[in-house]
Amino acid sequence: MLAHMETTGSIPLFDKYGGLRGLRSVIIDFYDRVLDSDVVGHFFEDVDIAKLIDHQTKFFAAILGGPAEFADQRLANAHRHLDVSHIHFDEVTRILKDTLADAGFVQNDLNLTLSAVEARRSLIVR
Amino acid sequence: MQLQDISARLIQSISVGICLVEADTGVVISQNETFGTWFANSVVGQVWDIDLPNALSDLPSRQPIEVRAKVKRRTLILELSAHKAEHNGTQLIVVEVQNISRLRETEAMIDSYADMVDRRTRELEREKTQVEKLLLNVMPRSVYEEYVTFGSVAPQLFEPVTVLMLDFVGFTKMAAAGDPNVTVSELNEIFTAFDHISELHGCERIKTIGDCYMAVTGLPHPASDHAVSAARAAVKMIRFLERRNQTHEHKWRARIGIATGSVVGSVVGVQKYVYDVFGPAVNMAARLQAQSEPMEITVCETMRDSLLDEFAISPKRNVSLRGFGDTDIARLSEHLAHQRVA
Repeated sequence: MLAHMETTGSIPLFDKYGGLRGLRSVIIDFYDRVLDSDVVGHFFEDVDIAKLIDHQTKFFAAILGGPAEFADQRLANAHRHLDVSHIHFDEVTRILKDTLADAGFVQNDLNLTLSAVEARRSLIVR
Repeated sequence: MQLQDISARLIQSISVGICLVEADTGVVISQNETFGTWFANSVVGQVWDIDLPNALSDLPSRQPIEVRAKVKRRTLILELSAHKAEHNGTQLIVVEVQNISRLRETEAMIDSYADMVDRRTRELEREKTQVEKLLLNVMPRSVYEEYVTFGSVAPQLFEPVTVLMLDFVGFTKMAAAGDPNVTVSELNEIFTAFDHISELHGCERIKTIGDCYMAVTGLPHPASDHAVSAARAAVKMIRFLERRNQTHEHKWRARIGIATGSVVGSVVGVQKYVYDVFGPAVNMAARLQAQSEPMEITVCETMRDSLLDEFAISPKRNVSLRGFGDTDIARLSEHLAHQRVA
């Protein structure tokens, strides 16, 4: 079981929205919003920038069918020590939705992405 | 508005941090808003109090240095440079700070992406090697290369070649009577040994069907000694079985037929494709194999000349073979001299 999402057409959303070139600003935007959030920002505080960006890039690549895949077990392990609650998870989902909508994701692609994230809730929330 | 005012406002609003320090006293004379946001403990009228790896007075002679500043939750990466200036007879140090966080973030993103792509490339390479290995199991390398280059393989006539056909005596009975796992694993072990023997003698294993093993010499590259090579492989296979039977519970006994002639080689099938050969030599080898007694090798009388020097060939006998009619055949075995050495 891999945490990489199915896509509507034959090409993954990651490629549909321009690959890294097209998604670069979206990833940075998401990172900014997450850090600004009073609900989840503290999770990312004091984390080394390179590490944080690496995390966000791989997160996007994974949820949009880019060149990264995370096994469910790995996702669960990575979040175990963080004490993520449903409120936190909802907040990140909301930020992701806003970011992607502002980046011009069409509704169907947006829904697909969000449901792929939603499907991993039980792995991340304690 | 005076030009001076405009300059002052501009300096306040730009995204570069500016700070003026009196060189002699180290007192901060002026700083813009951006600078103040990044360095909260820098106060105008007080002595410069920013923790840097170098003394402030050393900075003008150095390359820009990288410092970190925390604004709310975000750790910024800033590039700090300084140069000397003079104003109304006072020596000043002008400190200029640029926010290079975005640059570093982009670099980190590219690193991260390159890392992902590298990993994916390695995975694909591994898969490719695996696929190649699998395909090389079912077709000769030259055919595989043709397939990779052109996406298809044209049927090709090979002549002359020699086909070796081997079949086990009573395999069906053995499979039914014993533990099928044991039988199949032993068969696998024997076929693996046959593969080694074939390779040693320039035989190309074409396929196995159940307990039947088929190999060809002179394909895909012509070989003038194709008949001798096939016969050598055949006697080695028999010898291998004889030795194996001495120490194993299950006695494997094979019949072998060897026939020289022509075959057409081609990849058959679209999704589940195999490389296979067809033609009179294949059919003849199958008929000859059926004529063999257990642990015997049967050849066509027409092959006698090419094999005589190296092998013992029995007197010919005439049999009627399906599809071929009356045919002279003979039994091939090792020369006694060889047998003694063995």
